[in-house]
Amino acid sequence: MDALSMGLVAAMGALATVAGASEDIDSDIGSQSNPNSQVQLAAQVGNPHRIYNKAIAGEPPSNALWCTTAAIVAYMLIEAFQMPALFSIALGASVAALFDGVMSMSAYFGRNASQKRFNQWVYLDIVRYTTPSIMAHVWITSFCIVTITYIQVYVLTPHHPFPIPVIALIWGLTVGAIGSSVGDIHYGGEREFQWRLFGQGLSTMLSGQIVRKAEAGLRNSIDNAWFCAKFGGPATGMGFGLTVFLDNWRTTVFDPVSQALLAIGTGVFFVIVMNLYNFYLERSARRKYGPYPGYKGDIAA
Amino acid sequence: MTVGGGAAGAPAAFDVKKIRIYGLAGSVLGIYLAWILNTVTGTDIFSFIGAVAALFGVVMGANAVRRVCGYGIGTGVPSIGMLSLGMGVVAVAFGLSVADQFGMGALSVIVTLVYAMIFGYVVGVIANKVIKFNIPVMEEGLTDLAAGGAMAIMGWSFAISGSLAFADIVNDVINTGYIAIIFICGGLAILHPFNANLGPDEKQDRTLVNGVMVGGLSTIATGICAFLTLTPAAALLQLVVGFVIWYYFFMWYYRLVKRDASAVVGTGLLPPSAL
Repeated sequence: MDALSMGLVAAMGALATVAGASEDIDSDIGSQSNPNSQVQLAAQVGNPHRIYNKAIAGEPPSNALWCTTAAIVAYMLIEAFQMPALFSIALGASVAALFDGVMSMSAYFGRNASQKRFNQWVYLDIVRYTTPSIMAHVWITSFCIVTITYIQVYVLTPHHPFPIPVIALIWGLTVGAIGSSVGDIHYGGEREFQWRLFGQGLSTMLSGQIVRKAEAGLRNSIDNAWFCAKFGGPATGMGFGLTVFLDNWRTTVFDPVSQALLAIGTGVFFVIVMNLYNFYLERSARRKYGPYPGYKGDIAA
Repeated sequence: MTVGGGAAGAPAAFDVKKIRIYGLAGSVLGIYLAWILNTVTGTDIFSFIGAVAALFGVVMGANAVRRVCGYGIGTGVPSIGMLSLGMGVVAVAFGLSVADQFGMGALSVIVTLVYAMIFGYVVGVIANKVIKFNIPVMEEGLTDLAAGGAMAIMGWSFAISGSLAFADIVNDVINTGYIAIIFICGGLAILHPFNANLGPDEKQDRTLVNGVMVGGLSTIATGICAFLTLTPAAALLQLVVGFVIWYYFFMWYYRLVKRDASAVVGTGLLPPSAL
């Protein structure tokens, strides 16, 4: 372990935190991933809305696409034209953002056009002002992820043996998966069903009965970003940042070859501590706020 | 959770058999045409034809996703797209290495296609008989999907390497990591069309046009990749061809959206019935 490697690991953790936060807000603006099914159902149960419907294959594959796109552009510029790394990565992230803009628009158009019989209109003003916000967040996510892969492949010793696009694909899948599992609840559970008491679950009867009207006027997806940027986004960033930092920390402190057992042991230790903390958190939440209203006991599966 | 699928039995303007024949013939002949032109002229300028050939496979795959997922597989659409390209990657690796072993690199496309179709059929049988999906078109759909995915990967790999030789594709596509973008962008080209148009009023032509549009994006991506592996002129040509395909089909898609949507409005409140 040397000071430079530890500094790089810290930088990777910081980049991952930013990437996680922007990834979650990006998916919340577009109503992607799990909450998307409620936005999709809303029109079908008689609630047409003005909320973006960015259905791009769930968060992991779509983020894998943005990050890989940014990675191929950066890799090509660095290897073929010997461009500076920061410039190449920034240009790559811009191309990824453009790809995202195209896919987002086509999903919004397509999903709403396929709900003709439910009178769901296609609003062009929503496309014009929401798509750039989504693209901006995708730019941040893919820039951070490709910078992490650049550090892994070119700077951190030992250099990662995989090529940049493949590592970016894997990191993209990871950030999407973490965004999907950590961040979605703050948009789906707390924002779409804001007038329901939190914790009571969502019965089938309520499917599609999402909040469509704001404090003034109709709710749109930028309002959702404003809400999710307060907690859901940062929480996701924390989740992804800790994953990247702790995982790289243990293999930087302990040499993965000569001290493999110690590195594995540290990983197991982290997993156990986090599980215990989660258990404590759930117990304390139930003790303080439970039993939840409307809770009728566990239903036998 | 299944959300608003229901394209099963929906009227399809294009017959599945026709799409399959055009998809298979277009992709195989296209890749061979590109290979022959490259070999005869001794350049790599015709590599972009491989990327165009891949689009035929994409259309076939996207139509298969539409048929299989129309039975109410809502959240399974991305999974089946990834499955398609996963089978495709295995088939391409198999086809290239077997053809290389026998010293006939040019046969790799045919070997890949045959292997992919058998592989897809077996996976379909397992999905229906063992996992008990009980979807009538599952075997047929997965055969199409595997073949479409394999041809898409083959076409775009050729577009990046400009050659059908095993060693060249390993060097230019796998060692550089470009296989990642072919996998994910090609996967999205096959799964995104039906996923983006999911709903009771989904139309086949709109879905397939969307597929070619995303295929255009993939061609732009392989054009970018090709700057490292081909001559700059060939890469630039591929980039321009990709952009033209994307632009043409995006505008076409937008026209179809305007045709199919309940209303396309500049701005406004909710429809009068919902206020």
